[in-house]
Amino acid sequence: MVSEKVTLVNPQGLHMRPAGLFASTMGKYSCNVTVVTPEKEVNGKSPMALMAAGIPCGTEVEVRCDGADETDALAAAIELIKSGLGE
Amino acid sequence: MYEGVNASEGIGIGTVVVAVEPDLSFDPHAVEDVDAEKARYQAALDVFCEKTNAQAERMKVTVGENEAEIMSGHIMLAQDPGLVDGINSAIDGGMCAEQALVETSTMFENMFLSMDDEMFRLRASDIADIRTGILAELLGREVVDLSALPAGSIIVVHDLTPSMTATIDKENVAGIVTEVGGRTSHSAIIARALEIPAVLSVSNACGALHNGMTAIVDGINGHVLSEPDEETLADYKERAEAFAAEKRALDAFRGKPTVTADGDKKVLACNIGNPEDAKGAVDHDCEAIGLFRSEFLFMDAKELPSEEEQFDAYRSVATTLKGAPVIIRTLDVGGDKEIPYMNLQKEENPFMGYRAVRYCLDNPDEYKVQLRALLRASAFGDIKIMVPLVTCVEELRQVKALVEECKDELRTEGYKFNEDIEVGIMMETAAAANIADILAEEAAFFSIGTNDLTGYTMASDRGNDKVAYLYSWYYPAVLRAIKNIIVNGVKQGIMVGMCGEAAADPLLTPLLLSWGMEEFSVSAPSVLKTRKAISQWTKADADVLEEKVMQLKTAEEVKAALEEAAR
Repeated sequence: MVSEKVTLVNPQGLHMRPAGLFASTMGKYSCNVTVVTPEKEVNGKSPMALMAAGIPCGTEVEVRCDGADETDALAAAIELIKSGLGE
Repeated sequence: MYEGVNASEGIGIGTVVVAVEPDLSFDPHAVEDVDAEKARYQAALDVFCEKTNAQAERMKVTVGENEAEIMSGHIMLAQDPGLVDGINSAIDGGMCAEQALVETSTMFENMFLSMDDEMFRLRASDIADIRTGILAELLGREVVDLSALPAGSIIVVHDLTPSMTATIDKENVAGIVTEVGGRTSHSAIIARALEIPAVLSVSNACGALHNGMTAIVDGINGHVLSEPDEETLADYKERAEAFAAEKRALDAFRGKPTVTADGDKKVLACNIGNPEDAKGAVDHDCEAIGLFRSEFLFMDAKELPSEEEQFDAYRSVATTLKGAPVIIRTLDVGGDKEIPYMNLQKEENPFMGYRAVRYCLDNPDEYKVQLRALLRASAFGDIKIMVPLVTCVEELRQVKALVEECKDELRTEGYKFNEDIEVGIMMETAAAANIADILAEEAAFFSIGTNDLTGYTMASDRGNDKVAYLYSWYYPAVLRAIKNIIVNGVKQGIMVGMCGEAAADPLLTPLLLSWGMEEFSVSAPSVLKTRKAISQWTKADADVLEEKVMQLKTAEEVKAALEEAAR
């Protein structure tokens, strides 16, 4: 298992578009992806779970990847969040 | 008469059709063959997604790409691993597919409902909508089908879900009435896109209105009238025709260039308050952004927004405008706009105090964050920097020096930006109007902020009932100030625009044209109206009127003369 912390920068937090982009990108990897906030842990491949977590802009989250392609998946996840999730 | 939310403009007169939602009740039962039950769910899900996809394709043609995306979003939610896993494990626990779907989706729905954010609450209604669709598949029942309504139907329904709207044939629907929803709900967005008059949130509409009743949907005022008498009906028919005629007249200006009657090209721009508005402005056919108020970034935040956050917002607007000019006003803090974390002291007279460019120049480290973000975003479009509340040339010089400092830093750090980025002035003080000739030599453009200019020139607060009568741009003092700004800007060859409310006042249009104003920046709904007003005047006609009006001495005379000449 690998993990890294990163701060969410897109202004409106994780609403539909960014959550969808994150989950669909993570869906390309076979490993399990979990997004951990101070309050909860959610499935990083589920846009609905990510949205339901209601993570606001400026929150530091930890991304955990566990599985065969975990290193690549983590790098992609961090890069994506840092770039503002397409916003 | 019933009152509701005016969600889509227009007046519809027709016959009520109450859409009855299907009975989706079922008997929860224990399941023995878990795998077969999962397969049954999967099959229903597949059919649902197939149908929804077909609806989305249909909507792309009948409604629009953006609205069709709502349906594509439903497929994404229905196939969401979080939802599917939840349902499968509920079935593993012995629940039937229907109950597993209801329990799991309701859990997500409640999570979204408990959030403060309207966007998330919309997701709750999406989830309810897909639950209805999949449940109907599982139970083999038909969902509401609005595709075969008779012409002139007024749809009355508890909630118009996106999947229902997808089946609407707009030719046959005269109006929409719902019991829930607001201006930003899906039903409102789609009703507006379909240009069907709609009144939402009319409580007990399904109980009060019955099939076959005659009803009037007044989407302008948010009223619904049932079984109107002859007189009322005739009155509303007239209003409906007047609305349609005005709309046709304005629609003729959609997608057309903004030109005067003698062919002089002008720019019609929009005022916006956040990056989301930019899309709406483009949809309303604007050619540029004449004022992007950057305050929202600061007011919605708990601390000073970072360079990255600001850069994202500015870049997003620049990208949406695809290379058309975007004038961004730098932070206009103070006065009536309080920002808690900035710790501004309460002042006796905030409108004459520590605000806007005065605050920014006193806090150059904070200001440079914004200027750097603006410069970096200028690599993605035609961004121009506008400085508010300038009263003397020293302020403009200081801002330009800071911009140069930021450029040097960014160059060293290897960022791309527009080397020739324009720095202009929001002309909104009596001082700036008086020295427009001096400022024009050093500013790249002027944009007249008539709201503050009128207030400062007339020394009148329009929020104060006792003096609000003085707040009017028809006073010769204000007109002279505007004229001095435009004429001096034009003389120096710089772009002069107007981003205050006066830009959308058709009575002022001939004066502004006579003085040579180039850009009119208005709110999105005023775009076509203003384009039409501009098309009515030649320079020669406008000059004749200007000469007459500028000799008048009172606001009343000015307004009367402009009204008499109005086209």
